[in-house]
Amino acid sequence: MVEHGDIRVVHRGGSKINFREPVITNDSSFLLCASGECVKVFSTSTEECIHDLRGHTDLVTGVLLKPSNHLQVYSCSADGTVRLWDFTDGILIKTYVIGYPIYSIYASPDHEGIIFIVTPMLSDKRSELFQLVAVHLPQSGDQLVEARELSAVLSDVSSNPAAITIGRGGEYFASAKGLQLEVYFFRKQKSYRFSLKEGNKKGGRNTFTCVACHPKDDCIATGHEDGKIRLWRNFNHKKEYTYTTLHWHHSAVSSLRFTPEGTNLLSGGVESVLVQWRYNQESQRDFLPRLGAAITHITISPDGALFCTSHSDNKITIIQSCVKVSAVIQGLVKGESVRTDLMVDPRSKAMVLNGKPGHLQFYSLQRDKLLYNLDIVQQEYIHESGLQQFEVVKAAFDASGNWLATVEERKQKAAELELNLKLWEFDEQTQSFVLNTTISAPHEAQITAMCFCHAADSQTTMLVSTSKDGHFKAWQLATPARTEDEGPSWSCDFVGAYHGLVPKCCCFSADGSLLAVSFQEVVTVWSPSSWELLTTLSQPPGAIRDLCFGRLSCSKYLLGTTASNLLCCWNLLTCSLEWSTSMDTSLLLADPFSENMAAFCCQAGCTDLFVFKPSEPRPLFSHKAVCSGKVTRAVFAPREDMLESCEESSQWLNCSQLYFLTQYMDLMTFITKAEEDRLMASSKQLVIDDSVAMTPFYLLLGKHRQQQQENQDTLSTLSAERTPLPQGSVAIKELLQTPAHVLPSTSFLCSMFVQSLLISVTDSREESKHAEEEMESEKEEEDSEGEMESSTSRPREASLAGHATETAALALTKAQARELRRVKKLDHSWLSGLLDS
Amino acid sequence: SNDSLISLLAVHVLHADASSASEMAADAGSSPLQLPCVFSPKSRQYLALCAQDGRLRIWNTDSKTLHQEYVPSAHLSATCTCIAWGPCRTVKEGPQRKKRKSEAVQVEEKPDLLAMGTAAGTVLIYSTAKGALHCTLDGGHSGGVNCVQWHPEDSLLYSGSDDTNIIEWDLQTGKMRSKWKADRAAVTSLCVSHDGKLLLSAGQVIKMWDLDTKEVYRKFTGHSTAVTTLRFATTRPPDSNGLYFLSGAAHDRLLSVWQVRQDGKDKNSVVSFTLTDEPRHIDLVTSNSKEEAVRLSVVCKDGQLHLFEHFLNGPCKKPLSPLCSVQMSDTKDSPVPIPLLAAALGADTRNVLLAYGNHLQPVMERVEINTAERHVCLTRDVQTNLSISMETAVSKVKTPIVSTKSRVLVPGLPGHQAPVKGMSQGSEKRKKDTDTKEMSIAERLAPKGTATLQTDNFAVLLVQGLESNDANILNKVFQTRKEVVIKKTVARLPLPAVLPLVEEVSAVLFVCFLLLKCFYLQLIQLYIQQLPDLVTQLGVLYHMIESRVKMFHKLTKLHGKLYLLMTQVGIIVYRKYLQYFFLSVFFNRPDSAVLEV
Repeated sequence: MVEHGDIRVVHRGGSKINFREPVITNDSSFLLCASGECVKVFSTSTEECIHDLRGHTDLVTGVLLKPSNHLQVYSCSADGTVRLWDFTDGILIKTYVIGYPIYSIYASPDHEGIIFIVTPMLSDKRSELFQLVAVHLPQSGDQLVEARELSAVLSDVSSNPAAITIGRGGEYFASAKGLQLEVYFFRKQKSYRFSLKEGNKKGGRNTFTCVACHPKDDCIATGHEDGKIRLWRNFNHKKEYTYTTLHWHHSAVSSLRFTPEGTNLLSGGVESVLVQWRYNQESQRDFLPRLGAAITHITISPDGALFCTSHSDNKITIIQSCVKVSAVIQGLVKGESVRTDLMVDPRSKAMVLNGKPGHLQFYSLQRDKLLYNLDIVQQEYIHESGLQQFEVVKAAFDASGNWLATVEERKQKAAELELNLKLWEFDEQTQSFVLNTTISAPHEAQITAMCFCHAADSQTTMLVSTSKDGHFKAWQLATPARTEDEGPSWSCDFVGAYHGLVPKCCCFSADGSLLAVSFQEVVTVWSPSSWELLTTLSQPPGAIRDLCFGRLSCSKYLLGTTASNLLCCWNLLTCSLEWSTSMDTSLLLADPFSENMAAFCCQAGCTDLFVFKPSEPRPLFSHKAVCSGKVTRAVFAPREDMLESCEESSQWLNCSQLYFLTQYMDLMTFITKAEEDRLMASSKQLVIDDSVAMTPFYLLLGKHRQQQQENQDTLSTLSAERTPLPQGSVAIKELLQTPAHVLPSTSFLCSMFVQSLLISVTDSREESKHAEEEMESEKEEEDSEGEMESSTSRPREASLAGHATETAALALTKAQARELRRVKKLDHSWLSGLLDS
Repeated sequence: SNDSLISLLAVHVLHADASSASEMAADAGSSPLQLPCVFSPKSRQYLALCAQDGRLRIWNTDSKTLHQEYVPSAHLSATCTCIAWGPCRTVKEGPQRKKRKSEAVQVEEKPDLLAMGTAAGTVLIYSTAKGALHCTLDGGHSGGVNCVQWHPEDSLLYSGSDDTNIIEWDLQTGKMRSKWKADRAAVTSLCVSHDGKLLLSAGQVIKMWDLDTKEVYRKFTGHSTAVTTLRFATTRPPDSNGLYFLSGAAHDRLLSVWQVRQDGKDKNSVVSFTLTDEPRHIDLVTSNSKEEAVRLSVVCKDGQLHLFEHFLNGPCKKPLSPLCSVQMSDTKDSPVPIPLLAAALGADTRNVLLAYGNHLQPVMERVEINTAERHVCLTRDVQTNLSISMETAVSKVKTPIVSTKSRVLVPGLPGHQAPVKGMSQGSEKRKKDTDTKEMSIAERLAPKGTATLQTDNFAVLLVQGLESNDANILNKVFQTRKEVVIKKTVARLPLPAVLPLVEEVSAVLFVCFLLLKCFYLQLIQLYIQQLPDLVTQLGVLYHMIESRVKMFHKLTKLHGKLYLLMTQVGIIVYRKYLQYFFLSVFFNRPDSAVLEV
C-alpha cells in the first residue's frame, strides 16, 4: 500500500491552555499561555488569539516575561530549550539550548542574565527526582546559543511549578515538596528546612501544594492538601520560625498569589471560588464564587489590575479588580474522557461532545473556538472531589438537527444507577432546544449505544437505544391519545431482545428500512416497520465492536468489526459474508456524505487509517501512523465549500473532512496539498500603519503640533533658513521603526545617531542651492588657479582665513573647507550694525 | 397559515407605509436614518453594526452573542455613517518555520480590520482582533464621510464625502495618497471592482474611474435621488461587454443594472429589479461567466428580504420581480412584523444568514429558505431569543428551554414500555414470569384493614364515582380490602362501566393489588370476547404492576430510610411533610394520596 504524500495530518486545535500558568503583559493587553507545542498570545479584551509563537518541538512547560525587557518573553519546553520571543510581532529572537527536559522556569529582576529552571537530576535521568538549576545565559549575538554554565541551586524539588518561588528581592528561594518546606538564601548560601507532621488528629493532610512569597515582606504563604494556608515568618532561623494558619478551603489549595504591592493574597482550589485575603487582616476575605470549574492557576498582571484564573475545564477567566469577570477564553473542554461520540450538529455545523459536567459543548471546527455549552442536566454542580453527579454519557442528533437525544447517568455506590433519557426538539421560533420528553430509567442498566433513524423521507422519527440489561428499545414520536392540547411526545414502540444476550451497538440503514443490532457475536437485522427479526449474521469468535451500513451504491453492505481483529463485510442481499480482513480496528466510521468508510487500526502503539469503499477491495487512501496511541473518537464533518479534487487518493476529502481525537485529546484533521496551497496563496498580509492611533492626548497635542508645523511652513517660505526637527531625519526614523532585535549594537548606533543630528542642519532645497554656490565658487577657484598658476590653493586659503586658522587649516578636510567657505559668504552686515551701535 | 400571516403582515406594512410617508413629509430633504450594518467577508463570522447610540457592536454569528462593543470618542457628534470590513487577515508566519508533520497550518482567515466613516469627516480603522482602534485617518475631508471602500488587494482605502471629494488613503503610512473632486454634489456611494482597477462613484451622476490614472472612464445618468448602493455584479473585464454593476437610490423601489459596453452606448440601465421599498442592505454573489447567474439578496427599508437570481446577458425590458420574498413576524396572536436588518447569501442558494430585530440587539440565524414558494413568512419569538443571547455573553453556557409542557415518562406510565399488542409471543412470555411475582406480592400484602363501609357491595357507588369522576368516592371504593365485597362489586358492575373503571385504575396511582387480581380473574373470564381493546388497556395496567413490582424493593428500602430519619427528627410536622414528600415523589399524584403510612 502506498502512502499518499500530498495529504497531511495537521493539528486542528483543541489543545490545552490551562497546562501552565499564563502570563499577562505589562500593559495588560495580552495574555500568553503555553498550549501544546506553542505559546498562544491572546488579547485580554477580545478573547481572540492574536498569534502563536511556534518553534518548540515538544510540550511547552513554562512562559515567563523577561525581567529586564517587558516586551520579550521566555518559554521553556520539554525539548530542552529556552526560547526568547518578541511577542508583539511573534518573532523568535534567541534559542538557548540546555540539553535537558525543562519542567518550569523562574527569573528575578535582581538576578540579571540568569534564569532558574527545573530539570531532572542530571546524574540519573530515569529517576523521578528533580533539581533547580541556575543557568547563566551567554551574551552572544547568535540566534542559537548553547548555555553551558549550569549550577545546581536546590536538589530534590517538586516538578510542579507552583511549588517553587523566588522571594523578596531575589534573596531566597522557597521550595516545597511533600511535607517539607526548604528556603535557600543566596547570600548565605544556606538553606533552612521546615517539616510538618503527616497529619493531625483531626485527619488533616499537611502536604504542601503551592508556595508564594510576599513581594515586600519576609513572608512565605503555603497551601496545603487539606485546604489550609500557612503564612511563615522568621524563617531565617532554624528554630524560632513562626507560622499562622488560615482556613477557608475545604480541599486542596491549588494556587496562591500575592498582589504586586503585597496587600492581598489570592487563593483558589477545587471549590472554584477565588478568595482574596487582606494581608495582615486575614479575617477580612472577599470571594468571587461560581467561576465554573476548579481553579488550577492564578495570575496577576504586573500592575495588579487584572487577575486571571486557569480552570480545569480548559478555560482562562479574566477578572477585573477582583469583582467582574470581563472575558473568558475557553478551549475545547476536556473532562477525564470523552463519553459521548463526536457528532456534528446539522444546523450549526459545530462539533458536539460532552463538555463541562452535565453539559454538551458545541465547538466550531472552522474557527477552533468553543461556541457554547448546552446545559443538559440543569442541576447545580457541586464542586467537590469524589462526588458522583449526573453526567451526559450519550447524545445523538437526527439527520435534520431537529431532535437531540441525550442520556445522563449517575452511578452511586455500585448497584444504584440513575438514568435519564431526554429528547430535545429544536424550536425555530425561539432558536433553542426545548425539552420534549424525559424518560426516567429508560433501561435498567447502562445504555451502550443510541442512534436515530436517518431516513430523510420517513414519516415517523425513531430512536433506538441498546442497554446492558439485554434489551434494545425503539422510541417513537407519537401524538398522545388522551389529551389534545399537548403536542407529540416520545414513547416506547418496541422492546427487543435476543437470547438474553447484551446488545453492544446499533445502526440504521441509510433509508431507515433496516436496523442492525449486535448482540455479542451475533448481528441481528430487524425491520423497523413491523419489528420482525429478518436475519442474523455472525462471524465468531469475538464480539462485535462497531457496525456500519454502507451508503448510496454500497447500501447492500453491512460492515462490522469484531474483538478478534476482524473487519467483516456482509452482503445483505445474499445474507452472506462478502469479504473479511484481519485488522485490529479501534473505530469504524461511515462518511454520511459519500459511500466511503474510515477504519482506524491500532498497530504497535500507533494508529493507521484506511479509507475504503465497501464494494472495492483496494483502499482509497491509507496513512500509516497518523498518531500514537489508540483513536477512539472521530467524525466526518461537512465542508462549507466543496473541493474539486480528481485524484483518487484525495477524492474522499472532497465533500467532508475527517477529524479525530488523539489519546492526548488533540483534535487532528487531514488536509490536502492543493487545499493548503490555495489557502496559502489567498493569504496576504495587510500591512497597515498603526502609529497614528488617536488618543485624547493626541487630540490636544497633535493639533498644536500641526499648527506649529503650518506656522513653520509659512515661516520657511518667508525666510530661507529652516531647521527641520531631528525626528524628520531618515536615520532616526529607521532607528525608531526597526524592531529592536535586528538593530546593531548600541555603540555603533550612538555615533550614527549623533552624526544624524549633526548633518540634519540643512534641508534639501538649501543643500542644492549650496551645491550650486559651491560649484560656482569652485569654478571661481579654478579660474583663479588658472590665473595664478605658480601658487597652490592652500596658502591662499590660509591667508584668506587669517592667522588664527593657519595651523588648523593644514588638516582641513575638503568638507570642512567647503563649510568654511560657506560661512565666509554669509552676510555679516548684522555684525557691522552691532559694531556701529 | 403562511398565507394568512402574510396578509396580516401586509396590513401592518400598509400602516407602516403611511406612517413613514408622513415622517418623510416631516423631515423632507434630510437623509433618512440608515444605520450601517455589515457582515464580515468570507465566512460571515461577525456582524458589525452601528446602532442609534453611536456605539459600534460586533456580534458573533456562530454563537449569536455580542462579541465586542466599541465606543468611538465623540461618538455622538461624529456618528459613524458607514462601515466596511477589510480583507481577511491571515495569521502572520514566523520567519524560520519548518513544516513539520502534524503542525497546524495557518489556514484560519480572520476578519480583522474595520473602516468606519464618520459624520465629522474622519475615517477610523478598528481592529477586531485587538478590540481597539488601530488608527485614524483624518485631515482629508471637510464634510461627513458617506462611504468607505477597501481595495481588494493593496492596502488602500477609498472614502467619499459630502465635500464632493474622493480620497485614496495609503494605509501603510496612514496618509492620504490622492484626493480628487468627483462630482458637483456629495459623493454618496463608492464601489471598487474585483480586480481593483476601476472605481464607481455616485454623486449626481454615476462615474466610473480608472484607478491608475484617476480619470473618468464612463458616466451613467439615471437616478434622481441620492444613490445609496453601488455593486459590481460581474467580475469580467470592462472591454468584454460583460461588466455589469447595479445601483439603488433613496426612495427608489428599483435596483438598476448597468452594462459597461465597449462601444460606450450605455446611457440607460439594462435591467431593473423591483423592490417593495428602498434597498437597505444588499448581498450579491457575482457571476464569473455568462452561464452563471447573479444571486442577489436585498433587504428593504420595510424589513422585507427579496431574493433574485438572474442571468446577466444584455437588456431586459420588463422589471424583474423577486424569486422569493421573506418576511418575519412574531408569535403573538396579532402578528407584528419583525424587521430584517441584513441578509448574507450562503454557498447554497437556499441558505441565508439573517439578522433581524432591532439594531441594539439583533438576532442572527442561518435559515434554509424554500425558494419554491414566492412568499415565505417566518415566525420567531424575539424576546426569548434576546434573553438567551445576552446571558451567554460571558458565561458561555446556553440553557435550553424546559417548560412544564414537556412530558415525563416514569416506569409504569403508558409509553415507557412497548404497548402490549394482542397475543404476541414475547409479551406472553414475559406476562407469565411476572404473574408469579405478582402472586407473591399479593400474598405479602394480605388484607388486614377493616372495611369502613358496611354495605356488601359498592357497585352503585363505583359507577357514580366513575361518572362524576369524584376522587373521594373512588378512593373510598378502592380502599376496600375485603375480598368478598370486591368480588360482589365487580360481579354487579354494569358492562359499560368496565372500561372507564380500567382506565381509572390505571390512572389512579396507588394500586391495590388485591383488587387488580380480582379484576383479572373475573373480567378476563367475562368480557374478553366482547371487548377486544381490553387487552391493550390491561397491558398498560400490567406494565404498571410490573414496574411497581420492580420498584417495590427500592421503595421499601427508602421507606426504611425515611422511617429512620423520622424517628431521628421526631417532630410531627416533619413527619407529615416527609409522608407527603414520599407520596408525591413516587406516586406523582399528591391529590389522590390518602394512603396512611
